[in-house]
Amino acid sequence: MQIDKDYYEILGIPQTATDEEIRQAYRSLARRSHPDVSGDAEASEEFQDVQEAYETLSDPAQRQKYDQWREQQGRDKSSALSLRAIASHQTLLAIPEEQAYYVLLNATPASDLPTSRLPLNLSLVLDRSTSMQGMRLQQVKEATRQIIDKLQPEDALSLVVFSDRAEVLLPSQHNVDKAMAKSIASTIQPSGGTEMLQGLLSGLSEIERNQSDTSVNHLILLTDGQTYGDEQGCLEEAEAAGNRQISLSTMGIGSDWNEDLLDQMAALSGGVSTYIDSPRKVVDIFKDTVRSLGLVVARELVMSINPRSGIRLHEAFQITPHIRRLESRGDRMVLGPLGTDQGKAILMEFRVQGLPVNEQRLMRITVEGDVPGKANRRSWEWVELAAVISETPDPDADIPPPIVTALGKLAIFKMQEKAMADLEAGEISAATQRLETMATRLLNLGETDLARAALLEAGRLARTGDLSAEGRKKIRYGTRALSILPKEIHHD
Amino acid sequence: MIKCPFCQTTHVANTLFCSECGTYLLEDDRRGTDPLGTGEIGWVGTEEEGSEHLAQHGSGPLGVRLHIGESGRQVEAPLSKAIHLGRLDPASDVFPELDLSEDGGLEKGVSRRHARILKREGTVVVEDLGSINGTFINGKRLAPYLPEALHDGDQLQLGKLLIEVELS
Repeated sequence: MQIDKDYYEILGIPQTATDEEIRQAYRSLARRSHPDVSGDAEASEEFQDVQEAYETLSDPAQRQKYDQWREQQGRDKSSALSLRAIASHQTLLAIPEEQAYYVLLNATPASDLPTSRLPLNLSLVLDRSTSMQGMRLQQVKEATRQIIDKLQPEDALSLVVFSDRAEVLLPSQHNVDKAMAKSIASTIQPSGGTEMLQGLLSGLSEIERNQSDTSVNHLILLTDGQTYGDEQGCLEEAEAAGNRQISLSTMGIGSDWNEDLLDQMAALSGGVSTYIDSPRKVVDIFKDTVRSLGLVVARELVMSINPRSGIRLHEAFQITPHIRRLESRGDRMVLGPLGTDQGKAILMEFRVQGLPVNEQRLMRITVEGDVPGKANRRSWEWVELAAVISETPDPDADIPPPIVTALGKLAIFKMQEKAMADLEAGEISAATQRLETMATRLLNLGETDLARAALLEAGRLARTGDLSAEGRKKIRYGTRALSILPKEIHHD
Repeated sequence: MIKCPFCQTTHVANTLFCSECGTYLLEDDRRGTDPLGTGEIGWVGTEEEGSEHLAQHGSGPLGVRLHIGESGRQVEAPLSKAIHLGRLDPASDVFPELDLSEDGGLEKGVSRRHARILKREGTVVVEDLGSINGTFINGKRLAPYLPEALHDGDQLQLGKLLIEVELS
């Protein structure tokens, strides 16, 4: 079999693609690259590849053989990814009713992967509305200057400010003259309102001027206010940016901004939203964000789960870098980018029922990703999970501590989700009670600040029927950060 | 099916935490921390000099790296939030970010809730959380709940467990 061809990559589909997806990908590519249409030699070569890929993948027997080879190849070439799965149980009791089974999956960059930094293509889009006056703007300027200082010659930077309209202060450029850029940043003056869409559009078009396949294309948007009337436009642009491989970090400072909007914008583009509760934290948060941007191994990880019958996925959460609920698209889940300095931990809860007694293969979990730093950019890795289904319980069975820790933090995050859902549904007393229970748990965990916020908001909710804008943000962003865990360093 | 002893909600078998109230649903028989004899710990006395002034500004270190005990296990943690050090005990709601059970924490007198490391006004500090056997910086015992500055290269000690600190 041919060694250097990745049929899935040629067709632009994941290994888990269905027959229908293969057919569709083939049709659209064949139409474009057919020699009769294009007439040039390069296209006809492409057409042959597409043809070959389709012939192999559309035949189930050939596809299976090819998959085996491809997987073998993935192992031999040492994938850029390393996966480790821990299951809650090695032995499951043979009982007629449904039971829970947890899997904690850790995806980290392979240890032998050269950790070269990817060039950045960054745009800073900063709110300069009147409310930013004073400490806020002062700290944002300082943070911007520190980011400029850290730039490498190959990085591209642009600087956009917005109020009622947007203004490009520094057009996107490589080899930034740092003294000049810093003095431009220092000239930002507060005035006007907050029209976010204008700023977003300017920032995105600056990024596109220097966009490339091998750079990390990213926009940092910082605001302290509500934008009016252009929310829908912001969401559409964020999603379109994500589709063009541009991710957004959205940051809200103070308490007057719309966390639903910033959260969704970040999520749609594959980025993260951050709550900055004090201007003093701006510098740290900016620096940290920019530092981790260059340290991306895989730009987008996609996970697929193939369980045997009798097992189904109940729910899945990302645990680190921060807690979030994962939604599946078909049988796939988009996990977002993987950094060199921080792995991803995913916790899945399965429901198991009706498996026959004996040793059983339970499932295969595959993670695929686009790795810009590697010659063969499509990288993938998988793990197999198995358990013994037994009539007698295993007396020594202990739930592995990492699973218990992850679930313990997750329990609080889920209570927060439920409290917000109760509130949304007008169930004030249920929401109040949940916040109180949550406060107790948080206090036990030693999370005193967050516990205090939850308790204060519970009281406010009981009195006024609503939460404060600040409390909402504290609880939302605080509970998702509960899972920040130290990382083990291994020296081989 | 299993029932939460706290709020009576029912869950499928093997569920670990109640989805309604967050209660841990497994029986647990973990041991508490035994006090050690003071001779075993070797403390030098409480801090004599006044505690250092915490810096007012500046961003300071972003992360901390800890070299733990004889095994030399190394962990690295961001300082964006407090890192709790102790021993995992889900039944009493203790989920320290850094679980020292595998480092012989129980034998060395580490409490379930022992200490925490956090960044305050740009300075990294360590705070003893009323642990039974104490927290020490370079051999000096900290007063409980009174945070002290932590520096690069400091020797942190929880009960008898030694931890070397590296700030980055």
